Amino acid sequence: MSIAPSALPISMRRIEKRFGSVAVLRDLNLDVAAGEFLTLLGPSGSGKTTLLMILAGFVRANAGSIKVGGDEIITTPPHRRNIGMVFQNYALFPHMNVFHNIAFPLKQRGVGAAETAERVEKALDLVKLKGLGERRVDQLSGGQRQRVALARAIVFEPRIVLMDEPLSALDKGLREHMQIELRALHRRLGMMTTVYVTHDQREAITMSDRIAVMNAGRIEQLDRPETLYATPRTRFVAGFIGESNFIPVECRNGSVWYEDQRIHTAAPSPAPGQHLMVVRPEKLRLLTDAEPASGVNVLNATLSDIIYQGDSFVCYAVLRDGRQLTLRDYCRSDVLARMPAPGRPVTLGLDAQDTILVAAD
Amino acid sequence: MSVHPTLPRDTGRAGQDLNTQALRADARRESLRLLALLSPSLFLVFAIIIVPIGWLFWLSLFDEAGALSAANYARFFEQASYIKTFVTTFRVAFIVTGACVLLGYPLAYMLSQLPRRAASICLIFVILPFWTSVLVRTYAWLVILQRKGLINSWLIDLGVISEPLPLANNLSGVVIGMTHILLPFLVLPLYASMKTIDTDCLRAGMNLGAGPVATFRQIFFPLSLPGLASGVVIVFVLCLGFFVTPALMGGGKVIMWAMRMEQTTSLYSNWGAGAALGVVLLVVTLALLGLFQWLLGARATGVWSSR
Amino acid sequence: MNRTRSVSILAVAGLMAAVAPPAMAGDTITVASWGGTYQEAETKAFFKPTADALGITIKEDTTNGLDDVRLQVTGNAVKWDITELGADECARGSKEGLFEKLDYGIIDKSGINPKLVHDDWVGISYTSVVLIYRTDVFGDKGPKTWADFWNVEKFPGRRALSGSQATETLSVAALANGIPIDKVYPVDIDGALKSVDKIRGHIDAWWTSGAQAMQLVKDGEVDMASIWNGRAGTLKKEGAPISFSFDQGVLTADCMVIPKGAKNKAAAMKALAMFVSPQLQANLPLYVDNGPVNEKAFETGKIPQDRIKDINSSPENVKKQVLQDAAFWRDNLVEATEKFNNLVQQ
Repeated sequence: MSIAPSALPISMRRIEKRFGSVAVLRDLNLDVAAGEFLTLLGPSGSGKTTLLMILAGFVRANAGSIKVGGDEIITTPPHRRNIGMVFQNYALFPHMNVFHNIAFPLKQRGVGAAETAERVEKALDLVKLKGLGERRVDQLSGGQRQRVALARAIVFEPRIVLMDEPLSALDKGLREHMQIELRALHRRLGMMTTVYVTHDQREAITMSDRIAVMNAGRIEQLDRPETLYATPRTRFVAGFIGESNFIPVECRNGSVWYEDQRIHTAAPSPAPGQHLMVVRPEKLRLLTDAEPASGVNVLNATLSDIIYQGDSFVCYAVLRDGRQLTLRDYCRSDVLARMPAPGRPVTLGLDAQDTILVAAD
Repeated sequence: MSVHPTLPRDTGRAGQDLNTQALRADARRESLRLLALLSPSLFLVFAIIIVPIGWLFWLSLFDEAGALSAANYARFFEQASYIKTFVTTFRVAFIVTGACVLLGYPLAYMLSQLPRRAASICLIFVILPFWTSVLVRTYAWLVILQRKGLINSWLIDLGVISEPLPLANNLSGVVIGMTHILLPFLVLPLYASMKTIDTDCLRAGMNLGAGPVATFRQIFFPLSLPGLASGVVIVFVLCLGFFVTPALMGGGKVIMWAMRMEQTTSLYSNWGAGAALGVVLLVVTLALLGLFQWLLGARATGVWSSR
Repeated sequence: MNRTRSVSILAVAGLMAAVAPPAMAGDTITVASWGGTYQEAETKAFFKPTADALGITIKEDTTNGLDDVRLQVTGNAVKWDITELGADECARGSKEGLFEKLDYGIIDKSGINPKLVHDDWVGISYTSVVLIYRTDVFGDKGPKTWADFWNVEKFPGRRALSGSQATETLSVAALANGIPIDKVYPVDIDGALKSVDKIRGHIDAWWTSGAQAMQLVKDGEVDMASIWNGRAGTLKKEGAPISFSFDQGVLTADCMVIPKGAKNKAAAMKALAMFVSPQLQANLPLYVDNGPVNEKAFETGKIPQDRIKDINSSPENVKKQVLQDAAFWRDNLVEATEKFNNLVQQ
């Protein structure tokens, strides 16, 4: 595991995939940097798994190019791609024990017995399964199988590792633990470009260097997690990553208007026409009479409900036009002290730099 | 302050004992009821399997005069034809099982790779012959295979051969007829077990560097072994007891064990003569099943329960 | 046909009135035979007229032979009042004590070959084993004797013999050795086996049932075979290119018995008496090729003259054939069959 060949970048160009008349991927371009942990995030049917299958070679694209470190691999059969993969259901070989599962890729590559034993031991050690080599696969827990699958995918030191929702079968606690462990492992190994597929936005945010949000066969936005969260470029991305309130706004004469109220924005004003303002619940504040300062947008609403969640609370407030907004804040005593009762009017504040505008559909 | 109302100590213990007893009584009642539910089938198994087989064994120990004797078994060694029949029976069973595997494995593989709809249509064609009686199918083969039958007529008309091929009334006729009848018994369990093989396992194999042939050899084939083993066992055991097909297709030259039983039962006045043949077949079959289990290990026997 | 039957019923009724008191009307007896066209013929020839004449009901069943009788008698569950068997089976069953004694005060045995009249069994009909050959292969110059059948140089071709009926094949083998028909019995088993050994390698099929023998000849699977005359007659009627004669045929008798413990013994005895009477015996060849066991049947005038020559048990044809000796096979069947199997299945 120590003598690492340098990681390789992946470059996908104009990938097209149709199943019959249904286009699953359309004109898709994606670059993955060498050593990067990139996540394909999207709802089911968005094409993320198909893209992964095309990368692995199990599905042939109708058109396009895939280059790994400059070499075209689009026609290379899967067994010659030298890409490791962790499957959703792990796909461990049930007729082999843990050792032979992990040794399988080494055997295909003609690695000698002594070296195989050594490398399998190292891999087992790496995934914290030392001494379980002789176990049968059906004697392992879900988490252990997951680790075996991981060890098997990296033991032959592939330049690229693909992971297809590898944690979805685990329970919540274990899943969160494994997220951190996977991330740490990726950093430690260093040389492996990783493409990870999930539909879980929290998982994606936790683990990834960059996230490609996919929708209907296209990449909607490709960015670092924090950028994606802070500045989603489409309503879909804003809705898919984190919680969002959407308020319809209109852009005219170089400024932004919510009904007859002018909205202060930090960003330069977009093109004239209808837009959506994305408001994250935690960016809204309950204002007291002392405020507001300048540059803060003030929204008048009626408090409809408050839900305490221990460390935080969620407020539901209804604007004049009947639109409901969600507000989230921590349960600090000063906030709780001035919390009005449901049914009372409230004033909500939103800083100009927290406004996000996306195109209306 | 205690949250729970305090109960007098002894009352609590008595209540606990009461509950334990009630639980135990429930468990007892439940197992009795389960036994009662099972008893008709247990009785059936006892009455139609255990008792007759025991009776068969008992009968085989008496000679024609009704005296306790090993004569019925000694006959196998005194008369050469019994050994010959025995050898023939196993030879036919091995050849037919082999032919079923050679024909059935690719067929089951093809079926397992077809889309579900096409596979179910093809499966109907596999099962279709079950709806015709063995007798009818055997006669049909006779019509096809005999000297003036379809195959020989065609081949002679086409000038491929000048003398008819000896396809019926000999070993090849028996093998062809039995293979046709037994093939579905191999294909069905094999297909079922192939369908349970996770395609992701095969993908994983290729992903990890095994080419199509290596993936088949190292992953698909071992995973299909339980189905193959159960198919082989079923076909082989059925072969050992075959009667109609060898009787009609063998031309009297391929005498199998079941035919011998019929002959012996009518030749000797004591049931023991035929019973001894039955006992020998039963023992050898059980021994073979044991051998199969031993050879293929837990995986093959797991077939019966899991797959 | 109707006239014939009513005449026979009248005649039989007269006979019964003279010999014995009529059976109790309403009695029911069960008779088992081999099934198929043979049993259908028996129904028309024997069972129906007897039931009508005695005023009893005759139920029918089918048998697989001596095993069935043995099973019923030793199991104390006798279903049948009369059953048909092969003569050698009768001889063996008799030795095992499976049958009731027959009352020859009621059954008139005159006209039946004494070899087929025993304390507890009586003959009922004849089947012949004959040599059949295909005329499309041999014209009319086919093998006429068993010696011809054994002569593979003079008569090249494919051959079938019975593999299941060792008694018949050994009789035929003795004839092939040149033994005259009146010297075949007692069979020199070792001599006959040597004879079988000579032809063994030239046999293409050892048939195990009458239907199989017929199919082998009909489909041209073999050019010559031993076959039962009933099956040969059927082939002839179907127009198959075959020829056979009763020369050197082997006459095998069927017999009837009352299984020990039969429930309606008295009625069965009277019915059996009618079955073997010349009048009803004469009915049989009107329906099948199995000849009557009672030679007086040929004197009744019921059998047309031109039919008589085709009947295997007509006085003319009997002279050409060997009668299988049931008593001989009773004592030698097991040993001979085992030896035969050892030889044939080499």
